[in-house]
Amino acid sequence: MTPIVEGRGLTRTFPMAGGVVTALRNVSIAIAPGEYVAITGPSGCGKSTLLHLLGCVDTPTSGSLIFEGREAAGLSESERSRIRLTRIGFVFQRFFLLPMLSAAENIELPQAEVGTAPATRRARTRELLDYVGLVDRAHHRPSQLSGGEMQRVAVARALANRPALVLADEPTGELDEDTGEQIAALFGRVHADGTAIVVVTHNQALAARAKRHLTMRRGAVTDA
Amino acid sequence: MTPRALAWRTITASPARAVLAVAGVAIIGALLFDMLLLSRGLLLSFRDLLESAGYDVRVVASESFPVVRLPVPRASALAAQLEGLPEVQEVAVVRTDRANVTLDTSIPDQAFSPDRTQEEPTTGQRSSQDVTLVSVSSAAERRAWQVVRGRGLAEAASGLARPPLLVSRRLAKDLDLSPGSTVMVRVVLAGAPSALPRVRFTLVGVAAFSFDRSDDFTAATTADAFRQTQAESGSDDADLVLVSSRAGFGSAAAVAAISQVRPDVKPFSNDELVSRFNENGFAYFRQISFVLSSITLGFAFLLIATLLTMSVNQRLGQVAGLRALGIPRRRIAAALLWESTWLVGGGGLIALPLGWLLATRLDHLLKQMPGLPERLHFFVLEPRAVVLHLGLFVAAGVAASAYPIWVATRLPIAATLRRDAIS
Repeated sequence: MTPIVEGRGLTRTFPMAGGVVTALRNVSIAIAPGEYVAITGPSGCGKSTLLHLLGCVDTPTSGSLIFEGREAAGLSESERSRIRLTRIGFVFQRFFLLPMLSAAENIELPQAEVGTAPATRRARTRELLDYVGLVDRAHHRPSQLSGGEMQRVAVARALANRPALVLADEPTGELDEDTGEQIAALFGRVHADGTAIVVVTHNQALAARAKRHLTMRRGAVTDA
Repeated sequence: MTPRALAWRTITASPARAVLAVAGVAIIGALLFDMLLLSRGLLLSFRDLLESAGYDVRVVASESFPVVRLPVPRASALAAQLEGLPEVQEVAVVRTDRANVTLDTSIPDQAFSPDRTQEEPTTGQRSSQDVTLVSVSSAAERRAWQVVRGRGLAEAASGLARPPLLVSRRLAKDLDLSPGSTVMVRVVLAGAPSALPRVRFTLVGVAAFSFDRSDDFTAATTADAFRQTQAESGSDDADLVLVSSRAGFGSAAAVAAISQVRPDVKPFSNDELVSRFNENGFAYFRQISFVLSSITLGFAFLLIATLLTMSVNQRLGQVAGLRALGIPRRRIAAALLWESTWLVGGGGLIALPLGWLLATRLDHLLKQMPGLPERLHFFVLEPRAVVLHLGLFVAAGVAASAYPIWVATRLPIAATLRRDAIS
């Protein structure tokens, strides 16, 4: 099966005042459609860097990244934006919901950017709010939602344009254990519905739901 | 959601900050608007004042007018000669002198029956006042002043036992004069007792004089009566000869024609006078206005740039998140530009009435300067100033939003997300 995204020999270094820091060393990885991958490892081991490369928000210092058959290095910024908008869904540790918009409006935002008709995106938004169990909170702003509710809205936003791949960076990092478990269950449903997921996490319960586990240490995948 | 709507929601999400920002922009905008009004106000007002007299050419004795004002000799002959030119429609000879006006309560003019019902309450305390006594040819009277009470000179002169006099409102109030009053007028000489005779006049009306000054009093009479105050000295000098060009010729043609037939005098069109004023007397205001406008515009730029930059810096993680979600740079740039537009537009529009109120107050203060005609204004509202004000504000808003837009659209997404996660 053709992978959604494939990284070959990915290396990412950052020039710092004290010298060059290598965050990722020669990592090769492929994510197949419908796969559920958890990446774990200690802080600073390169998990988020790898996730950013897979999500086309960063470019490798060396190596190549191929997204749905296209070499990411050859894409313009607007083409990478388009891929992120239509083929990838991001879930962040800090949610990054727009505070001045309601839950429904936050979910509508990426759909509007694609050009989805208002009636269609309202229907899709309602469907997603129902999916994450927040229909009654549609018109609430993020400040009126709990952390778990905000992350559920963020998951719904990530799914808004029916992406092939959802990338989640510590999605339970700001949540308590019970709420984290609810988010883990939600990711389980998303995967069950056929969306590929790569989640970077320290949460063992969340990682345990993945079908494939990658452990990273010092910028390299040590256990796959 | 459009960038405009997103920007509006962003601003209204923090109403206190938005109100403070708009208020700051409005105050700076009001100052900028005032500087723009000041940059041309005096010039426009001066032109308006010249044109209000109804004459478009002024003939004087020397090139150095209006700095040095020499008398025009044999003015009556000059006026007659100019009236014969095809380019000239009308000529008026203007004579002025300093005079003392004294209220004479002893002998009312039986031939004059004033309309007492139109009298205003007066608070006059003096019985005598030094004034500028003016005379113009009768044809020009209707243009040089506007009678607000009583009658005009030409209208009232026939049948009066004494020569007619018109006074300014300030003089009427100061001496408690009203139409029908009798006054004594004596031309005075600076620094020396006057041996000229007192002439008894009948006050026929109160008028608003175009060139009336706030620190002086004005009275006007006919050319014949003016000569009586000079003890029929025979002098035919005038301060000024006013000319209106004939329709179809224009002031430039009239000036050329006058220069040709009378090279000994100097005619100025209103445009030339305004130009001279612009080069000499007005340059000071223009330079002050330019410097203060530039400083104010700089403040507006800094205020808007600071507000937007701080706002963007507080939302870097959020912006990086949006870009990671695939929201393109141009949408984020458009939203920030709209944020700037809302703040600058709101403040800029409020600045117009606020600036005008401030200009009215400043105009009142500046007009206290001695020697200025009352009708002269430093701040004149004109569409050009409004358009320029809005244009400069839009330019400042766009320029000020350039840096925050650059920050938001060029930020490294991954590094920003990482920094946000660590913080």
